[in-house]
Amino acid sequence: MNETQNDVRMNVYEIGYLIVSSVPEEKVASEAEAVKSIITKAGASVIAEEVPHKEHLAYTMRKKTVSGSYDKYDTAYFGWIKFEVGSDVVESVKKLVETQPSVLRMLMISTVKENTYLGKHASAIAAEFNPMGKKTIERTFSPALKSSEAEKASVPVTPASVEDMDKSIDAMIKEV
Amino acid sequence: MKKQCYFNQHNISHIDYKDTEVLKKFINPHGRMVSRRRTGISAKYQRQLATAVKRARFMGLLPYVAR
Repeated sequence: MNETQNDVRMNVYEIGYLIVSSVPEEKVASEAEAVKSIITKAGASVIAEEVPHKEHLAYTMRKKTVSGSYDKYDTAYFGWIKFEVGSDVVESVKKLVETQPSVLRMLMISTVKENTYLGKHASAIAAEFNPMGKKTIERTFSPALKSSEAEKASVPVTPASVEDMDKSIDAMIKEV
Repeated sequence: MKKQCYFNQHNISHIDYKDTEVLKKFINPHGRMVSRRRTGISAKYQRQLATAVKRARFMGLLPYVAR
C-alpha cells in the first residue's frame, strides 16, 4: 500500500435508517431529504437511494425523548442511501445522521459500488429455494404469508369489534 | 448428491441485509440461522449471510427471536 497517514481514500458506504412512525407520511420525504443533505454537504456523491417506506418492525424499538422517557415504536419508515465519500469525514456524517431527532435507528456499512440489492427480484429467486421445507420463519413472522394462508382456509378475516368480543366472552362464561 | 451453493447458483456475489425475502430462507421459525450442513451454502457465503442477518435484525427487518 502506498497510502500515507494524510491520504484520504474514497470509499463507498451505505446508510440505512429508520424514521419514527410519528412523523406524518407527507413529511417523510422532507426528513429523508434532510438525511441526504447531511451526506451531500460532506462532499459525498450519491450512488443509489430508496425513499423511506413504512415497514412493520420485527420487534418494538425505543427512542429516548428530550424529557428522558422512552417512546415505543412498532412501525417505522425504512430508507437507505448509498454514497461515495472520503474516509476522513465519514464518522462525522454518521454522528450527524444519528443525532437527527426523527431518526429512530441507523446503520452505516462499508459496501461496493455495484448494486447488491435484489429488491423485487429477491422474492422470485427465493421462491424456488426451500432448504427448511415447511419450517420457515415466514409461516410465523411474515404477515403477508399469514394472510394468504388465511385465504386458502377460506375463513373470512375481519377485525373483531368490542361488541363481538364481549358476546364471545359472555358465551364462554355461560358454557362454564 | 452434493448440494450446490444457493448464492453461487444465482450469481449473487454480495448478500444485502435489505433482501429479507432471501435471508428468511436461511433462518428457522425461531429466528435462528440454519447451519450450512443443512442449506449447503459455501463457507464464504455463510459468513456473509451471518453478517447480513445480524444487520437486518438490528434494523428490525428480521426478529432476534420468534415464537
